[in-house]
Amino acid sequence: MESEIKTDNRFVVPIGPQHPALKEPGHFEFDVDGEVVTGASIRLGFVHRGIEKLAEQRNYIQDLYLFERICGICSHIHATAFAVAVEKLAGVVVPPRAQAIRTIVAELERIHSHMLWLGVAAHEGGFDTLFMYSWRDRETVMDLLETIAGNRVNYSANLIGGVKFDIDDSQRDAILRGIDFLDQRARYYLKVVESDETFLGRTRGVGKMTRGEAEILGAVGPTARASGVARDVRLEAPYIGYADYPVVLVLDDRGDLEARFSVRILELFESFRLIREILSRMPKGELSTRVPRRIPEGEIVLRVEAPRGELYYYVKSNGSEMPERVKVRTPSLCNWASVASLAVGHKLADMPMLLAGIDPCFSCNDRLVTLRRQDTAQTMTWEDLRQYGIQYYRGKRVCP
Amino acid sequence: MMDYHFALKQVEEILQPFSSEVRRPQEHQIDFVMGAENLNAAVEALFLAQWGYLSAITCLDHPPVKDENGQESEGSLEVIYHFCRNAAVAGLRVSVPYSHPHVPTICNWIPSATLYERELMELFGVVVDDTPSTERLVTSDDWPEGVYPMRKTFSGFSQESR
Repeated sequence: MESEIKTDNRFVVPIGPQHPALKEPGHFEFDVDGEVVTGASIRLGFVHRGIEKLAEQRNYIQDLYLFERICGICSHIHATAFAVAVEKLAGVVVPPRAQAIRTIVAELERIHSHMLWLGVAAHEGGFDTLFMYSWRDRETVMDLLETIAGNRVNYSANLIGGVKFDIDDSQRDAILRGIDFLDQRARYYLKVVESDETFLGRTRGVGKMTRGEAEILGAVGPTARASGVARDVRLEAPYIGYADYPVVLVLDDRGDLEARFSVRILELFESFRLIREILSRMPKGELSTRVPRRIPEGEIVLRVEAPRGELYYYVKSNGSEMPERVKVRTPSLCNWASVASLAVGHKLADMPMLLAGIDPCFSCNDRLVTLRRQDTAQTMTWEDLRQYGIQYYRGKRVCP
Repeated sequence: MMDYHFALKQVEEILQPFSSEVRRPQEHQIDFVMGAENLNAAVEALFLAQWGYLSAITCLDHPPVKDENGQESEGSLEVIYHFCRNAAVAGLRVSVPYSHPHVPTICNWIPSATLYERELMELFGVVVDDTPSTERLVTSDDWPEGVYPMRKTFSGFSQESR
């Protein structure tokens, strides 16, 4: 095989879009000098589905189900954000019991998401025992969600105007038992990530981001809070039940990977506390209220705190059954910039952990294949690449 | 919970000089309509006053409409820059016509805006002057030039062109 010699003294390690270390498609190029990363670029968007465009051609009820499918992990928060925005535009008030149930499901979802992340991040750090443990324990919260909603993911708890199901006494007891078990397990995880020497070797002082950097790079959610940015939409602009059941901000100013681990685990305790509190004083009453199919003209920006950070919805209605425009900005989009800038100066082996540290979730799209030869860069379409492959193998007489 | 009324009052004082019209679409929202030439100065003023952070940039397409005489008005693109501080949301609204869809970049103040600006260029055909990256963000490599999928007139490709 011909050797490829780089003429510009850069050595680029491409990772992805398909790669054993990544479960979702994203493409990363790291410039390296020996083991040390000197530059990084990220290309996203291999799974773009055009949901914003689709939403303009469907009515509000269909859109609720569409938006729930933006993410398979934080599905409930997307549907909640859309439902709350439409309810505000329609000027309806949702019964307090429905808001409490929405809040419980949102917090169960946060527990599920954070535990999933803990497993993935531990796996990237080569700590597969922690990965197995946390995912085993995560089944508890998945079972709870299934018990109350009938589904493990895409719980479909929301209606525009309320929720679909109630939480009865036996379900309440099951949730409390599950939470007690998870509480005990989360204490153990906190001890592990704060005291295990091998693990600390991968996290302490790695990927440090100061508060100023986090603000300039536009980081959100637990990633920003681990750098001391005191920002949580549940507190700043309370929605659904968060005004009645306030959360306590979890903040850490160390800014490294270790801080991102402890912030997320401490947020688990906050979610446990909140669920217990809501269940101990659930408001009584109706589960839903009627909302007209035609939503009066208007526009609204609605922000909610997804497990990964601030989720932004802009909904513009034109008085018909279908929205004029819906814009969704997911939290992962904001956090990508931080990875590209944090990577510089770290070892290549730290990259999977740094990537996992922001809890990335892929939701945009680009498809481009660039071939780098000696000193030319050539862009090929999929069809060109396919034809190139056919010709190449014909030349080798591998296939007829 | 911080008081958003105070934050709205603050931002009104900061942005009033740059805007031609102030709207209140929701109780917690305030919108400032301004020309593209004032955008950079307005963002600078927000940045220097440390009022909030950029939450997202949203674009709206207003296709041409016919009046009763059959006269067609020119279509326009409306770019809204939403800044948030606690529960308060301030929108900077800039409208540009189809014939000259130029807005200035705000990346000199807010570097993380580059992703939103790429989206504006790619999905709506807004030209963002001096933006650091014009690479495609979401459409595929064989996507034709000059076709903007989020414009209202776009309704998919015909079977033959696929």
